[in-house]
Amino acid sequence: MNAIEIRELTKNFGSKQALKGLNMTVPAGAIYGFIGENGSGKSTTEKLICGLMPPSGGTIKLYGKDYTDPNVRSKIGVLIEAPGCFPNMSVWGNMMLQAANLGIKNAGEEVGKVLKTVRMEGAASNKFKNCSLGMKQRIGIAMALLGDPALLVLDEPINGLDADGMRIMREVLVDITKDQNRTVLISSHILGELEKIATHYGIVRQGRMIKEMTAEELEAGCRTYVALQAAEMNRAKALLSCKCSRVEEDESGYIRVYDPLAPEDIVTYLYENGILVSEIRTDKIGLEEFYIDLMNERGA
Amino acid sequence: MTQTHELKFESPSFAKRIKGMLGVDFYRLFHTPMYYIFLAIAAIIPAMILSMTGMPGPDGTVTQPLYTNTWNIVAANTPLYIIGEIGEYANMNMVFIFGGIMVSIFIGHDYHSGYVKQLFTTHAKKRDYMLSKSLTGAFSMACMCVTYLIGGVAAGMISGTSFEVNIGSLLIAIVSKIIMSLGWASLYTFLNVIFRRYFGISVASSFFLGTGIPIIGAAAILGNSSILNIFLYGSSVYACLSSNILTLPVCAAVSVAWAVIYNLLGSLVLSRCDVY
Repeated sequence: MNAIEIRELTKNFGSKQALKGLNMTVPAGAIYGFIGENGSGKSTTEKLICGLMPPSGGTIKLYGKDYTDPNVRSKIGVLIEAPGCFPNMSVWGNMMLQAANLGIKNAGEEVGKVLKTVRMEGAASNKFKNCSLGMKQRIGIAMALLGDPALLVLDEPINGLDADGMRIMREVLVDITKDQNRTVLISSHILGELEKIATHYGIVRQGRMIKEMTAEELEAGCRTYVALQAAEMNRAKALLSCKCSRVEEDESGYIRVYDPLAPEDIVTYLYENGILVSEIRTDKIGLEEFYIDLMNERGA
Repeated sequence: MTQTHELKFESPSFAKRIKGMLGVDFYRLFHTPMYYIFLAIAAIIPAMILSMTGMPGPDGTVTQPLYTNTWNIVAANTPLYIIGEIGEYANMNMVFIFGGIMVSIFIGHDYHSGYVKQLFTTHAKKRDYMLSKSLTGAFSMACMCVTYLIGGVAAGMISGTSFEVNIGSLLIAIVSKIIMSLGWASLYTFLNVIFRRYFGISVASSFFLGTGIPIIGAAAILGNSSILNIFLYGSSVYACLSSNILTLPVCAAVSVAWAVIYNLLGSLVLSRCDVY
Protein backbone atom coordinates (compact mmCIF):
# COMPACT_ATOMS: atom_id res chain seq x y z
CA MET A 1 0.00 0.00 0.00
CA ASN A 2 1.14 3.53 -0.69
CA ALA A 3 1.16 5.94 2.21
CA ILE A 4 0.84 8.92 -0.12
CA GLU A 5 -0.46 8.88 -3.65
CA ILE A 6 -0.77 12.19 -5.43
CA ARG A 7 -2.09 12.53 -8.95
CA GLU A 8 -2.10 15.64 -11.16
CA LEU A 9 -1.98 17.97 -8.16
CA THR A 10 -2.31 21.65 -8.94
CA LYS A 11 -2.31 24.68 -6.69
CA ASN A 12 -2.79 28.25 -7.81
CA PHE A 13 -2.05 31.34 -5.77
CA GLY A 14 -3.90 33.98 -7.77
CA SER A 15 -2.35 33.91 -11.24
CA LYS A 16 0.75 32.03 -10.04
CA GLN A 17 0.68 28.27 -10.47
CA ALA A 18 2.76 26.74 -7.67
CA LEU A 19 2.04 23.11 -8.59
CA LYS A 20 1.52 22.08 -12.19
CA GLY A 21 0.14 18.55 -12.14
CA LEU A 22 2.48 17.00 -9.60
CA ASN A 23 2.48 13.21 -9.25
CA MET A 24 4.01 11.52 -6.25
CA THR A 25 4.02 8.03 -4.79
CA VAL A 26 5.37 7.35 -1.34
CA PRO A 27 5.28 3.65 -0.42
CA ALA A 28 4.26 2.78 3.14
CA GLY A 29 7.32 2.41 5.33
CA ALA A 30 9.52 4.59 3.12
CA ILE A 31 11.68 7.44 4.29
CA TYR A 32 11.05 9.73 1.38
CA GLY A 33 13.50 12.55 0.77
CA PHE A 34 11.66 15.36 -0.94
CA ILE A 35 14.12 17.54 -2.79
CA GLY A 36 13.83 20.72 -4.81
CA GLU A 37 14.96 24.30 -5.12
CA ASN A 38 13.37 27.13 -3.15
CA GLY A 39 9.94 27.82 -4.64
CA SER A 40 9.80 24.48 -6.44
CA GLY A 41 6.60 23.50 -4.61
CA LYS A 42 7.87 21.26 -1.79
CA SER A 43 6.30 23.16 1.09
CA THR A 44 3.09 23.74 -0.87
CA THR A 45 2.81 20.00 -1.55
CA GLU A 46 3.39 19.24 2.14
CA LYS A 47 0.83 21.82 3.26
CA LEU A 48 -1.69 20.30 0.86
CA ILE A 49 -1.02 16.80 2.18
CA CYS A 50 -1.48 18.11 5.72
CA GLY A 51 -4.81 19.76 4.91
CA LEU A 52 -3.63 23.31 5.55
CA MET A 53 -4.83 24.46 2.14
CA PRO A 54 -7.23 23.03 -0.41
CA PRO A 55 -5.80 21.96 -3.78
CA SER A 56 -6.88 23.68 -6.99
CA GLY A 57 -7.02 20.32 -8.75
CA GLY A 58 -5.90 16.71 -8.59
CA THR A 59 -6.18 14.08 -5.89
CA ILE A 60 -4.31 13.30 -2.68
CA LYS A 61 -4.78 9.88 -1.13
CA LEU A 62 -3.27 8.83 2.17
CA TYR A 63 -3.29 5.09 2.77
CA GLY A 64 -5.87 4.79 0.00
CA LYS A 65 -8.28 7.26 1.64
CA ASP A 66 -9.01 10.87 0.79
CA TYR A 67 -6.58 13.16 2.60
CA THR A 68 -9.42 14.96 4.44
CA ASP A 69 -10.71 11.74 6.03
CA PRO A 70 -10.44 12.29 9.83
CA ASN A 71 -9.72 8.58 10.31
CA VAL A 72 -6.51 8.86 8.36
CA ARG A 73 -5.67 12.37 9.61
CA SER A 74 -5.54 11.05 13.17
CA LYS A 75 -2.48 9.00 12.17
CA ILE A 76 -0.45 11.86 10.70
CA GLY A 77 2.24 13.81 12.50
CA VAL A 78 3.41 17.06 11.02
CA LEU A 79 6.17 19.61 11.38
CA ILE A 80 5.70 22.35 8.80
CA GLU A 81 8.26 25.18 9.01
CA ALA A 82 8.21 25.71 12.80
CA PRO A 83 6.07 24.08 15.50
CA GLY A 84 2.86 25.92 16.35
CA CYS A 85 3.37 26.60 20.03
CA PHE A 86 2.34 29.33 22.42
CA PRO A 87 5.55 31.21 23.21
CA ASN A 88 4.78 32.01 26.85
CA MET A 89 3.72 28.47 27.67
CA SER A 90 6.13 25.77 28.75
CA VAL A 91 7.27 23.03 26.38
CA TRP A 92 5.34 20.56 28.52
CA GLY A 93 2.19 22.71 28.44
CA ASN A 94 2.30 23.05 24.68
CA MET A 95 2.80 19.31 24.29
CA MET A 96 -0.11 18.58 26.62
CA LEU A 97 -2.39 20.86 24.59
CA GLN A 98 -1.57 18.96 21.42
CA ALA A 99 -2.08 15.66 23.26
CA ALA A 100 -5.51 16.90 24.38
CA ASN A 101 -6.42 17.86 20.81
CA LEU A 102 -5.45 14.37 19.70
CA GLY A 103 -7.50 12.83 22.51
CA ILE A 104 -4.52 10.87 23.84
CA LYS A 105 -5.10 8.85 26.99
CA ASN A 106 -2.20 8.87 29.48
CA ALA A 107 -1.10 12.15 27.90
CA GLY A 108 1.58 12.83 30.52
CA GLU A 109 3.24 9.49 29.92
CA GLU A 110 3.08 9.88 26.14
CA VAL A 111 4.45 13.43 26.23
CA GLY A 112 7.32 12.29 28.47
CA LYS A 113 8.10 9.47 26.05
CA VAL A 114 8.24 11.63 22.91
CA LEU A 115 10.26 14.34 24.68
CA LYS A 116 12.76 11.65 25.62
CA THR A 117 12.88 10.46 22.01
CA VAL A 118 13.91 13.94 20.86
CA ARG A 119 16.33 14.44 23.79
CA MET A 120 14.22 17.20 25.29
CA GLU A 121 13.13 15.63 28.57
CA GLY A 122 15.36 18.02 30.53
CA ALA A 123 13.81 21.12 28.96
CA ALA A 124 10.13 20.32 29.50
CA SER A 125 9.63 23.15 31.96
CA ASN A 126 11.32 25.77 29.75
CA LYS A 127 9.13 28.38 28.16
CA PHE A 128 8.87 27.71 24.43
CA LYS A 129 10.07 31.22 23.59
CA ASN A 130 13.33 30.59 25.48
CA CYS A 131 14.23 27.50 23.44
CA SER A 132 16.90 27.61 20.73
CA LEU A 133 16.04 26.92 17.09
CA GLY A 134 17.34 23.38 17.33
CA MET A 135 15.28 22.74 20.47
CA LYS A 136 12.17 24.19 18.82
CA GLN A 137 12.61 21.91 15.83
CA ARG A 138 12.94 18.91 18.12
CA ILE A 139 9.83 20.01 20.03
CA GLY A 140 8.07 20.16 16.67
CA ILE A 141 9.14 16.59 15.94
CA ALA A 142 8.01 15.52 19.42
CA MET A 143 4.60 17.07 18.71
CA ALA A 144 4.45 15.28 15.39
CA LEU A 145 5.22 12.00 17.15
CA LEU A 146 2.32 12.34 19.58
CA GLY A 147 -0.38 9.76 18.94
CA ASP A 148 2.04 7.29 17.35
CA PRO A 149 1.53 8.50 13.75
CA ALA A 150 1.85 6.18 10.78
CA LEU A 151 2.94 9.06 8.55
CA LEU A 152 5.30 11.85 9.51
CA VAL A 153 5.60 14.94 7.33
CA LEU A 154 8.68 16.98 8.20
CA ASP A 155 9.35 20.19 6.33
CA GLU A 156 13.04 21.08 6.44
CA PRO A 157 13.65 20.04 10.05
CA ILE A 158 17.43 20.31 9.70
CA ASN A 159 17.74 23.71 8.05
CA GLY A 160 19.17 26.53 10.10
CA LEU A 161 20.70 24.26 12.73
CA ASP A 162 24.30 24.49 13.86
CA ALA A 163 26.63 21.49 13.65
CA ASP A 164 25.68 20.20 17.10
CA GLY A 165 21.98 20.75 16.50
CA MET A 166 22.28 18.91 13.21
CA ARG A 167 24.04 15.99 14.87
CA ILE A 168 21.33 15.66 17.53
CA MET A 169 18.62 16.01 14.90
CA ARG A 170 20.24 13.30 12.77
CA GLU A 171 20.23 10.96 15.79
CA VAL A 172 16.60 11.80 16.44
CA LEU A 173 15.64 11.18 12.82
CA VAL A 174 17.46 7.85 12.83
CA ASP A 175 15.59 6.87 16.00
CA ILE A 176 12.14 7.81 14.74
CA THR A 177 12.66 6.08 11.42
CA LYS A 178 13.54 2.78 13.14
CA ASP A 179 9.88 1.90 13.10
CA GLN A 180 9.75 0.05 9.80
CA ASN A 181 6.08 0.64 9.17
CA ARG A 182 6.24 4.37 9.78
CA THR A 183 6.41 6.44 6.64
CA VAL A 184 8.40 9.67 6.76
CA LEU A 185 8.19 12.40 4.16
CA ILE A 186 11.08 14.75 4.78
CA SER A 187 12.16 17.75 2.76
CA SER A 188 15.54 19.35 3.13
CA HIS A 189 18.14 21.36 1.28
CA ILE A 190 20.88 19.55 3.18
CA LEU A 191 21.14 16.59 0.86
CA GLY A 192 24.17 15.07 2.56
CA GLU A 193 22.11 14.58 5.72
CA LEU A 194 19.11 13.31 3.79
CA GLU A 195 21.24 10.75 1.99
CA LYS A 196 22.06 9.11 5.31
CA ILE A 197 18.46 8.20 6.11
CA ALA A 198 16.28 8.26 2.97
CA THR A 199 15.11 5.08 1.26
CA HIS A 200 13.28 6.88 -1.52
CA TYR A 201 13.68 10.24 -3.24
CA GLY A 202 11.45 12.61 -5.12
CA ILE A 203 12.91 15.56 -6.97
CA VAL A 204 10.55 18.39 -7.73
CA ARG A 205 11.14 21.33 -10.00
CA GLN A 206 8.87 24.23 -10.92
CA GLY A 207 5.81 22.48 -9.51
CA ARG A 208 6.39 19.14 -11.22
CA MET A 209 7.94 15.89 -10.06
CA ILE A 210 10.90 15.33 -12.34
CA LYS A 211 12.25 12.14 -10.80
CA GLU A 212 11.26 9.56 -8.22
CA MET A 213 13.66 6.79 -7.31
CA THR A 214 14.72 4.46 -4.55
CA ALA A 215 18.04 4.74 -2.72
CA GLU A 216 19.19 1.65 -4.65
CA GLU A 217 18.33 3.28 -7.96
CA LEU A 218 20.24 6.37 -6.90
CA GLU A 219 23.19 4.22 -5.92
CA ALA A 220 23.13 2.44 -9.28
CA GLY A 221 22.65 5.66 -11.18
CA CYS A 222 25.48 7.51 -9.47
CA ARG A 223 28.67 7.44 -11.48
CA THR A 224 31.93 6.13 -10.09
CA TYR A 225 35.00 8.29 -10.55
CA VAL A 226 38.67 8.28 -9.67
CA ALA A 227 39.91 11.25 -7.62
CA LEU A 228 43.61 12.00 -7.49
CA GLN A 229 46.21 14.53 -6.51
CA ALA A 230 49.54 14.74 -8.28
CA ALA A 231 52.74 16.79 -8.16
CA GLU A 232 51.91 18.82 -11.27
CA MET A 233 48.15 19.18 -11.22
CA ASN A 234 47.74 21.29 -14.38
CA ARG A 235 49.92 19.02 -16.52
CA ALA A 236 48.32 15.91 -15.04
CA LYS A 237 44.88 17.29 -15.87
CA ALA A 238 45.96 18.15 -19.42
CA LEU A 239 47.42 14.69 -19.93
CA LEU A 240 44.38 12.92 -18.58
CA SER A 241 42.09 15.12 -20.70
CA CYS A 242 43.85 13.81 -23.80
CA LYS A 243 43.23 10.21 -22.74
CA CYS A 244 39.78 10.45 -21.08
CA SER A 245 36.43 11.88 -22.17
CA ARG A 246 35.56 13.64 -18.87
CA VAL A 247 38.12 15.08 -16.49
CA GLU A 248 37.28 17.80 -13.95
CA GLU A 249 38.89 19.47 -10.98
CA ASP A 250 36.62 19.56 -7.92
CA GLU A 251 36.33 22.18 -5.17
CA SER A 252 38.80 20.29 -2.94
CA GLY A 253 41.53 20.46 -5.57
CA TYR A 254 41.24 16.82 -6.71
CA ILE A 255 41.25 15.81 -10.35
CA ARG A 256 38.25 13.62 -11.10
CA VAL A 257 38.32 11.10 -13.91
CA TYR A 258 34.85 9.82 -14.76
CA ASP A 259 35.94 7.30 -17.41
CA PRO A 260 35.94 3.63 -16.33
CA LEU A 261 39.67 3.39 -15.74
CA ALA A 262 41.43 1.48 -12.96
CA PRO A 263 43.40 3.74 -10.54
CA GLU A 264 46.57 1.74 -11.20
CA ASP A 265 46.25 2.41 -14.95
CA ILE A 266 45.99 6.13 -14.28
CA VAL A 267 48.98 6.05 -11.92
CA THR A 268 51.03 4.15 -14.53
CA TYR A 269 49.99 6.48 -17.34
CA LEU A 270 50.96 9.60 -15.39
CA TYR A 271 54.18 8.00 -14.13
CA GLU A 272 55.18 7.20 -17.71
CA ASN A 273 54.68 10.91 -18.46
CA GLY A 274 56.86 11.98 -15.54
CA ILE A 275 54.15 12.82 -13.01
CA LEU A 276 53.98 11.26 -9.57
CA VAL A 277 50.54 10.67 -8.05
CA SER A 278 50.49 11.55 -4.35
CA GLU A 279 46.93 10.35 -3.58
CA ILE A 280 44.33 8.36 -5.51
CA ARG A 281 40.96 6.81 -4.63
CA THR A 282 37.71 5.70 -6.26
CA ASP A 283 34.46 7.33 -5.19
CA LYS A 284 30.85 7.81 -6.23
CA ILE A 285 29.01 11.06 -6.73
CA GLY A 286 26.56 11.70 -3.91
CA LEU A 287 22.94 12.79 -3.89
CA GLU A 288 23.92 16.45 -3.97
CA GLU A 289 25.95 16.10 -7.14
CA PHE A 290 23.37 13.81 -8.68
CA TYR A 291 20.77 16.46 -7.96
CA ILE A 292 22.91 19.27 -9.37
CA ASP A 293 23.64 17.23 -12.50
CA LEU A 294 19.94 16.46 -12.92
CA MET A 295 19.02 20.10 -12.48
CA ASN A 296 21.67 21.14 -15.00
CA GLU A 297 20.40 18.55 -17.49
CA ARG A 298 16.81 19.72 -17.06
CA GLY A 299 17.88 23.35 -17.15
CA ALA A 300 19.73 22.76 -20.39
CA MET B 1 16.46 -3.07 16.98
CA THR B 2 13.54 -2.07 14.83
CA GLN B 3 10.00 -1.80 16.09
CA THR B 4 6.87 -2.90 14.33
CA HIS B 5 3.97 -0.57 13.92
CA GLU B 6 0.46 -1.85 13.53
CA LEU B 7 -1.58 0.50 11.42
CA LYS B 8 -5.09 1.12 12.77
CA PHE B 9 -7.36 3.87 11.58
CA GLU B 10 -9.78 4.82 14.32
CA SER B 11 -12.65 7.14 13.73
CA PRO B 12 -12.51 9.88 16.38
CA SER B 13 -16.06 10.67 17.46
CA PHE B 14 -17.43 14.22 17.52
CA ALA B 15 -17.60 14.03 21.32
CA LYS B 16 -13.93 13.04 21.55
CA ARG B 17 -12.83 15.77 19.14
CA ILE B 18 -14.83 18.56 20.74
CA LYS B 19 -13.90 17.47 24.26
CA GLY B 20 -10.20 17.72 23.44
CA MET B 21 -10.58 21.05 21.68
CA LEU B 22 -12.75 22.60 24.40
CA GLY B 23 -10.31 21.35 27.02
CA VAL B 24 -7.49 23.15 25.26
CA ASP B 25 -9.46 26.36 24.72
CA PHE B 26 -10.69 26.55 28.31
CA TYR B 27 -7.22 25.77 29.63
CA ARG B 28 -5.84 28.57 27.52
CA LEU B 29 -8.62 30.95 28.56
CA PHE B 30 -7.99 30.37 32.27
CA HIS B 31 -4.24 30.76 31.75
CA THR B 32 -4.55 34.00 29.78
CA PRO B 33 -3.98 37.09 31.97
CA MET B 34 -5.92 39.16 29.45
CA TYR B 35 -9.09 37.22 30.33
CA TYR B 36 -8.88 38.38 33.96
CA ILE B 37 -8.06 41.92 32.86
CA PHE B 38 -11.23 41.98 30.77
CA LEU B 39 -13.24 40.57 33.69
CA ALA B 40 -11.90 43.40 35.85
CA ILE B 41 -12.67 45.98 33.16
CA ALA B 42 -16.22 44.62 32.93
CA ALA B 43 -16.60 45.13 36.70
CA ILE B 44 -15.01 48.58 36.79
CA ILE B 45 -16.96 50.15 33.92
CA PRO B 46 -20.45 50.07 35.56
CA ALA B 47 -18.93 51.11 38.87
CA MET B 48 -17.36 54.13 37.19
CA ILE B 49 -20.57 55.06 35.37
CA LEU B 50 -22.68 54.88 38.50
CA SER B 51 -20.28 56.41 40.99
CA MET B 52 -18.61 59.07 38.92
CA THR B 53 -21.49 60.61 36.96
CA GLY B 54 -23.06 61.97 40.17
CA MET B 55 -19.84 63.22 41.73
CA PRO B 56 -19.18 66.92 42.43
CA GLY B 57 -16.95 68.64 39.89
CA PRO B 58 -13.89 70.83 40.66
CA ASP B 59 -16.14 73.89 40.95
CA GLY B 60 -18.34 72.15 43.53
CA THR B 61 -21.35 71.66 41.25
CA VAL B 62 -22.83 68.20 41.31
CA THR B 63 -23.64 66.79 37.87
CA GLN B 64 -26.88 64.98 37.24
CA PRO B 65 -26.20 61.22 37.68
CA LEU B 66 -26.55 59.24 34.45
CA TYR B 67 -28.84 56.73 36.11
CA THR B 68 -31.10 57.13 39.11
CA ASN B 69 -31.83 53.40 39.11
CA THR B 70 -28.96 50.95 39.52
CA TRP B 71 -30.57 48.39 37.19
CA ASN B 72 -30.37 50.76 34.24
CA ILE B 73 -26.72 49.79 34.23
CA VAL B 74 -27.97 46.37 33.08
CA ALA B 75 -30.57 47.47 30.55
CA ALA B 76 -32.81 50.35 29.54
CA ASN B 77 -36.39 50.49 30.82
CA THR B 78 -37.76 49.85 27.33
CA PRO B 79 -36.11 48.57 24.12
CA LEU B 80 -34.19 51.59 22.84
CA TYR B 81 -32.77 50.80 19.44
CA ILE B 82 -32.25 54.48 18.69
CA ILE B 83 -29.65 56.08 20.90
CA GLY B 84 -30.61 59.63 21.83
CA GLU B 85 -27.46 60.29 23.80
CA ILE B 86 -24.34 58.28 24.42
CA GLY B 87 -25.29 57.73 28.07
CA GLU B 88 -28.19 55.52 27.02
CA TYR B 89 -25.66 53.22 25.52
CA ALA B 90 -24.02 52.49 28.85
CA ASN B 91 -25.50 49.15 29.84
CA MET B 92 -24.62 45.46 29.80
CA ASN B 93 -24.51 45.45 25.98
CA MET B 94 -21.09 47.08 26.34
CA VAL B 95 -19.80 43.71 27.56
CA PHE B 96 -20.29 42.40 24.02
CA ILE B 97 -17.86 45.05 22.75
CA PHE B 98 -15.13 44.11 25.26
CA GLY B 99 -15.93 40.47 24.60
CA GLY B 100 -15.39 41.01 20.88
CA ILE B 101 -11.95 42.45 21.46
CA MET B 102 -11.10 39.60 23.81
CA VAL B 103 -12.25 36.95 21.36
CA SER B 104 -10.22 38.67 18.61
CA ILE B 105 -7.07 38.61 20.72
CA PHE B 106 -7.72 35.02 21.79
CA ILE B 107 -8.19 33.76 18.23
CA GLY B 108 -5.41 36.04 16.98
CA HIS B 109 -3.01 34.11 19.24
CA ASP B 110 -4.08 30.88 17.52
CA TYR B 111 -2.84 32.20 14.20
CA HIS B 112 0.12 34.19 15.49
CA SER B 113 1.57 31.20 17.34
CA GLY B 114 0.86 28.71 14.56
CA TYR B 115 -1.45 26.71 16.85
CA VAL B 116 -4.10 26.44 14.11
CA LYS B 117 -1.50 24.96 11.79
CA GLN B 118 -0.75 22.33 14.41
CA LEU B 119 -4.45 21.76 15.04
CA PHE B 120 -5.71 21.43 11.47
CA THR B 121 -3.08 18.88 10.54
CA THR B 122 -4.75 16.49 13.00
CA HIS B 123 -8.25 14.99 12.79
CA ALA B 124 -9.73 18.32 13.93
CA LYS B 125 -12.58 19.52 11.76
CA LYS B 126 -13.13 23.13 10.86
CA ARG B 127 -16.65 23.09 12.30
CA ASP B 128 -15.27 21.75 15.60
CA TYR B 129 -12.88 24.70 15.71
CA MET B 130 -15.70 27.20 15.09
CA LEU B 131 -17.89 25.59 17.74
CA SER B 132 -15.12 25.38 20.31
CA LYS B 133 -14.13 29.03 19.85
CA SER B 134 -17.77 30.16 19.93
CA LEU B 135 -18.46 28.27 23.16
CA THR B 136 -15.26 29.48 24.82
CA GLY B 137 -15.95 33.06 23.71
CA ALA B 138 -19.56 32.80 24.92
CA PHE B 139 -18.39 31.51 28.29
CA SER B 140 -15.89 34.35 28.67
CA MET B 141 -18.53 36.94 27.77
CA ALA B 142 -21.04 35.35 30.17
CA CYS B 143 -18.43 35.66 32.92
CA MET B 144 -17.88 39.28 31.95
CA CYS B 145 -21.65 39.85 32.23
CA VAL B 146 -21.50 38.46 35.78
CA THR B 147 -18.56 40.65 36.84
CA TYR B 148 -20.28 43.63 35.15
CA LEU B 149 -23.35 42.90 37.27
CA ILE B 150 -21.31 42.58 40.47
CA GLY B 151 -19.47 45.84 39.72
CA GLY B 152 -22.77 47.62 39.00
CA VAL B 153 -24.51 46.37 42.15
CA ALA B 154 -21.52 47.25 44.33
CA ALA B 155 -21.34 50.75 42.86
CA GLY B 156 -25.11 51.17 43.22
CA MET B 157 -24.87 50.26 46.88
CA ILE B 158 -21.96 52.60 47.50
CA SER B 159 -23.55 55.52 45.65
CA GLY B 160 -26.96 54.86 47.18
CA THR B 161 -28.72 54.65 43.81
CA SER B 162 -32.20 53.13 43.78
CA PHE B 163 -32.61 49.37 43.30
CA GLU B 164 -36.32 49.50 42.57
CA VAL B 165 -37.24 47.05 39.82
CA ASN B 166 -39.59 44.32 38.66
CA ILE B 167 -37.39 41.42 39.72
CA GLY B 168 -38.86 39.00 37.18
CA SER B 169 -38.17 41.32 34.24
CA LEU B 170 -34.69 42.03 35.58
CA LEU B 171 -33.83 38.33 35.83
CA ILE B 172 -35.17 37.69 32.32
CA ALA B 173 -33.12 40.61 30.98
CA ILE B 174 -29.93 39.40 32.66
CA VAL B 175 -30.36 35.78 31.57
CA SER B 176 -31.34 36.85 28.05
CA LYS B 177 -28.25 39.02 27.70
CA ILE B 178 -26.05 36.19 28.94
CA ILE B 179 -27.67 33.87 26.39
CA MET B 180 -26.91 36.43 23.66
CA SER B 181 -23.21 35.84 24.39
CA LEU B 182 -23.32 32.72 22.23
CA GLY B 183 -24.50 34.59 19.13
CA TRP B 184 -22.02 37.41 19.68
CA ALA B 185 -19.12 35.04 20.27
CA SER B 186 -19.99 33.19 17.05
CA LEU B 187 -20.04 36.48 15.13
CA TYR B 188 -16.62 37.44 16.49
CA THR B 189 -15.21 33.99 15.76
CA PHE B 190 -16.47 34.26 12.19
CA LEU B 191 -14.98 37.76 11.78
CA ASN B 192 -11.65 36.52 13.08
CA VAL B 193 -11.68 33.59 10.68
CA ILE B 194 -12.40 35.96 7.78
CA PHE B 195 -9.65 38.39 8.78
CA ARG B 196 -7.32 35.73 10.21
CA ARG B 197 -4.26 37.22 8.53
CA TYR B 198 -5.08 40.79 9.58
CA PHE B 199 -5.21 40.99 13.35
CA GLY B 200 -5.86 44.75 13.43
CA ILE B 201 -8.78 44.50 11.04
CA SER B 202 -10.33 41.63 12.98
CA VAL B 203 -10.18 43.62 16.22
CA ALA B 204 -11.56 46.74 14.52
CA SER B 205 -14.38 44.82 12.80
CA SER B 206 -15.30 43.10 16.06
CA PHE B 207 -15.41 46.46 17.81
CA PHE B 208 -17.44 48.05 15.01
CA LEU B 209 -20.09 45.32 14.88
CA GLY B 210 -20.07 44.94 18.67
CA THR B 211 -21.15 48.55 19.08
CA GLY B 212 -24.29 47.74 17.08
CA ILE B 213 -23.75 50.79 14.87
CA PRO B 214 -25.31 49.11 11.78
CA ILE B 215 -28.48 48.33 13.77
CA ILE B 216 -28.54 51.77 15.38
CA GLY B 217 -28.26 53.14 11.83
CA ALA B 218 -31.09 50.90 10.66
CA ALA B 219 -33.19 51.99 13.65
CA ALA B 220 -32.72 55.60 12.63
CA ILE B 221 -34.61 54.71 9.44
CA LEU B 222 -37.03 52.07 10.68
CA GLY B 223 -37.65 53.53 14.15
CA ASN B 224 -38.02 51.33 17.23
CA SER B 225 -39.23 48.43 15.12
CA SER B 226 -39.42 44.95 16.60
CA ILE B 227 -38.10 43.56 13.30
CA LEU B 228 -34.67 44.63 14.53
CA ASN B 229 -34.90 41.86 17.13
CA ILE B 230 -33.83 39.36 14.50
CA PHE B 231 -30.32 40.80 14.77
CA LEU B 232 -27.92 40.22 17.64
CA TYR B 233 -27.82 43.84 18.73
CA GLY B 234 -31.60 44.16 18.38
CA SER B 235 -32.26 41.20 20.64
CA SER B 236 -29.64 42.40 23.11
CA VAL B 237 -31.53 45.70 23.36
CA TYR B 238 -34.87 43.87 23.50
CA ALA B 239 -33.73 42.26 26.77
CA CYS B 240 -34.66 45.28 28.90
CA LEU B 241 -36.18 46.04 32.31
CA SER B 242 -39.70 45.64 30.88
CA SER B 243 -38.90 42.15 29.54
CA ASN B 244 -41.63 39.58 29.65
CA ILE B 245 -41.64 35.79 29.39
CA LEU B 246 -41.44 36.06 25.57
CA THR B 247 -38.10 37.86 25.74
CA LEU B 248 -36.15 34.80 26.83
CA PRO B 249 -37.16 32.46 23.95
CA VAL B 250 -36.75 35.30 21.42
CA CYS B 251 -33.21 36.02 22.62
CA ALA B 252 -32.36 32.30 22.81
CA ALA B 253 -33.70 31.66 19.30
CA VAL B 254 -31.88 34.65 17.80
CA SER B 255 -28.65 33.82 19.58
CA VAL B 256 -28.71 30.14 18.57
CA ALA B 257 -29.81 30.91 14.99
CA TRP B 258 -26.94 33.37 14.43
CA ALA B 259 -24.51 31.03 16.16
CA VAL B 260 -25.48 28.27 13.70
CA ILE B 261 -25.26 30.64 10.71
CA TYR B 262 -21.86 32.05 11.68
CA ASN B 263 -20.51 28.62 12.57
CA LEU B 264 -21.57 27.21 9.19
CA LEU B 265 -20.17 30.21 7.31
CA GLY B 266 -16.91 30.08 9.25
CA SER B 267 -16.54 26.34 8.61
CA LEU B 268 -17.17 26.94 4.92
CA VAL B 269 -14.55 29.69 4.75
CA LEU B 270 -11.97 27.58 6.57
CA SER B 271 -12.55 24.55 4.35
CA ARG B 272 -12.41 26.55 1.12
CA CYS B 273 -9.46 28.80 1.93
CA ASP B 274 -5.87 28.34 3.01
CA VAL B 275 -5.94 27.85 6.75
CA TYR B 276 -2.45 29.14 7.36
